[in-house]
Amino acid sequence: MQEKDNTRRKVLIGLTSAVGLSGVPFAATPFIAAWNPSARAKAAGASVKLDVSKMQYGQQIQVAWRKQPVFIIRQTKESLAGLEEVLPKLSDPNSEAIDEPYRGLNLTRSKSSEYTVIAGVCTHLGCSPKYHPEVEPKPWDASWSGGFFCPCHGSMFDMVGRVFKGVPAPTNLAVPPHYFDGNILTIGEDGGIA
Amino acid sequence: MNDVFGKVFGWFNSRLPIVNTFERHLSKHPVPSKVNFWYLFGALASVVLIIQIVSGIWLIMPYSNTEEEAFSSIEYIMRDVDYGWVIRYMHTTGASMFFAVVYLHMFRGLLYGSYQKPKELVWVFGCAIYLAMMAEGFLGYVLPYGQMSYWGAQVIISLFGAIPYIGESLELWVRGDYYISGITVSRFFALHVVALPLVLIALVFLHLVALHEVGAGNPEGVDIEEHLDEDGVPLDSVPFFPYKVLNALVGIGVFMTVFAIIMFFFPEGGGYFIEMANFEEANPLVTPEHIAPVWYYSPYYAMLRAVPDKLGGLIVMGSAVAILFVVPWLDNSKAASIRYKGIYSKIALALFGISFLTLGYLGTVGVTEVRKTMSVICTVIYFAFFILMPVYTKFEKTKKVPERL
Amino acid sequence: MNKYILNINLIHFFTFVSLIFSINYLSSAEGGPCKDYGDCDKFKYSLNDMESLQRGASTFLNYCYGCHSLQYSRWGRVAKDLQIPEDIFFDNLVFDKTIKAGDLMTGAMRDDESAQWFGVAPPDLTLVSRVRGDDWIYTYLRAYYEDSSKQYGVNNLVYPGTAMPNVLAGLQGNQKLVCKDIPVLAKNGGEKRDNLGNTITKEKCGFLQVEEGSGTLTKDQFDQVIYDLTNFLVYVGEPAKATRERIGWYVIFYFLIFTALSALLYREYHKDYH
Repeated sequence: MQEKDNTRRKVLIGLTSAVGLSGVPFAATPFIAAWNPSARAKAAGASVKLDVSKMQYGQQIQVAWRKQPVFIIRQTKESLAGLEEVLPKLSDPNSEAIDEPYRGLNLTRSKSSEYTVIAGVCTHLGCSPKYHPEVEPKPWDASWSGGFFCPCHGSMFDMVGRVFKGVPAPTNLAVPPHYFDGNILTIGEDGGIA
Repeated sequence: MNDVFGKVFGWFNSRLPIVNTFERHLSKHPVPSKVNFWYLFGALASVVLIIQIVSGIWLIMPYSNTEEEAFSSIEYIMRDVDYGWVIRYMHTTGASMFFAVVYLHMFRGLLYGSYQKPKELVWVFGCAIYLAMMAEGFLGYVLPYGQMSYWGAQVIISLFGAIPYIGESLELWVRGDYYISGITVSRFFALHVVALPLVLIALVFLHLVALHEVGAGNPEGVDIEEHLDEDGVPLDSVPFFPYKVLNALVGIGVFMTVFAIIMFFFPEGGGYFIEMANFEEANPLVTPEHIAPVWYYSPYYAMLRAVPDKLGGLIVMGSAVAILFVVPWLDNSKAASIRYKGIYSKIALALFGISFLTLGYLGTVGVTEVRKTMSVICTVIYFAFFILMPVYTKFEKTKKVPERL
Repeated sequence: MNKYILNINLIHFFTFVSLIFSINYLSSAEGGPCKDYGDCDKFKYSLNDMESLQRGASTFLNYCYGCHSLQYSRWGRVAKDLQIPEDIFFDNLVFDKTIKAGDLMTGAMRDDESAQWFGVAPPDLTLVSRVRGDDWIYTYLRAYYEDSSKQYGVNNLVYPGTAMPNVLAGLQGNQKLVCKDIPVLAKNGGEKRDNLGNTITKEKCGFLQVEEGSGTLTKDQFDQVIYDLTNFLVYVGEPAKATRERIGWYVIFYFLIFTALSALLYREYHKDYH
């Protein structure tokens, strides 16, 4: 009788505990899920669409995506040719040190052969680098062939955002997910198609 | 591995009374062996308190305590925050369940004389908890800033104005503005979220410590401390763990089933838990057709409306809560439990229960002549229950309380 | 003994709970929410009927959204919950092409302008089903009648003196308040008759009647449109409602199992002291 009671008790304790504990993850779900980005966050962080066909060659425009600046540059034949010459100055010409989403697709580092799409956030401490496309000697580089100069601590990047050697910034400017649909550039989403 | 754990635990245990406290107040704490379901509501109240605190913390995160955003932040929680609606309904259901459980818990106290010596202080702390809960509930209801939040606050704060001399300035001081505004909302927010929960937790702690100091009662009103075994443990007791824990578990299971039914199928409670008018944003220029408080205040609302004078109504309402505090000193009966009290006590308690429930109903409906008279009669019965208690408990014939459970 | 206590506990709780809700249904007729109409017609929502909700959304966006915003609702969410592919939804029902899926449905008119035109800004309707109730909306939208003394030539039995014109008049047709000859009822409920066996009638006024053929829809069709529209407003009032009720069954089932198991466990240990 004692034996049977003990087994019965063990079984009941086991069952009740199992049922009780199995409810815990379900009970926890709303509290954990409530911390996910809400619909408001998703709406504000939604991708940005713009028509880039009216851009001039060599022009840079800036848009905001998730509260950060994104630079779009319409490259010229000269600026693309200049990417070879600037190679010796670069610290990571093939963007191997970072997560490069569209590696090897285009010289521009983007999904288009004409437009460069890069985050306008200096990889040193987050300032916004300034666009200097002119090929002429500059105070920060006597043999400047166009690119970005960050006024905060003097980091330099080439025309497609690759970082120079010997500057405070450690890595190239990041390329955000984006895709082109004809002339409409969408920043924030991959689009799926290569 | 066990040895390492034992050593580490031993280090802590010699510096904090972990094992002692656990055994004294939880596992080995002696509890009367024969109680009934009326004794579950205390445990259920603590469960609800925890539910309210956890769901409350999560509600603070997306809520905005400004006049402009309060109402829309509630809709933000209901729609845009993943599972926000679960947390919101948990909190509103919890508020109503808190009062339901506490009313039943208090009724148990009246039924079995849980306030009698030496448990007077347990009862007094309990009444203080009830008072704090009433304030907490009122403050919380203002936060969604719907029509009923606004106009309910308007009515209650204007009651302060009834106090002679200082009334008007007091009203202005409580509001922080010439009319109810975002200033009122944000200070009520601080009180509801921090100040009163701290007070409640402190009071609950004191309530439990006072209880454990003298020991829980039972439906027979027997003093189990009178008959101890060789180890000094009451013969008519069982250790809290596992017996009372398992008992509480069943109660919690039933309670959570009811909680879930309400939360998932009737969260608005037919308009009594979340009033329909509160789904409309506060509008100082338009008064809702029927201003009514949430159901758990309705008995007192009925009393307030029964008295024609504003200050008189406030005094009657306040006294109705205040008189609860002195019950331990009103009950002259030799028996604690209704089972052994005389016929007068039984009739008095029955009448009290009926009048309180009737007042509750009357507080939710519009005023008519007949209903006003009924409110007055029920208010008189309510007070008579307490005021006459010293008399009828002294002169009635009680049965002999047994020695053992 | 313990089963008895448990059952009593359960019975007490359920009685208490059901008492609370039945009080709500002791409401009176006139002087009630549907005012001059009497008791509101009953409305039963069906939030799993996607087709009904879709029709209701279409009606709302075509007829109502011009004046009434749904400021707490987001476009993309409506499309998703109603199972309408986003592109179809935006092509057919979203008339402002600058609107993005994540945007709130903030309305097509400015409050200050509309207040000037109508005397009062048409209220936002996101929560109307929770403020007024489904029955009320269903009845209100079908209770318009011709009244030449009013600004727009119409009045409403459910909301006398409403500032809202009868937007759906084209569908419903012209509804008038008419008088009818109604059989007089005896105390036992039967119809009173005269000596020749003819039913005695009395003229009673205040009945709503639509002019035959004055609207594009029949009465049943129009009632269906209003049903779908009200259904949609119930959804918009609380988008999580269908999910809530679905999850609820599982939660209750879980707690019933838990209660049963813990009761068995309790009784097993209770043997120790009884």
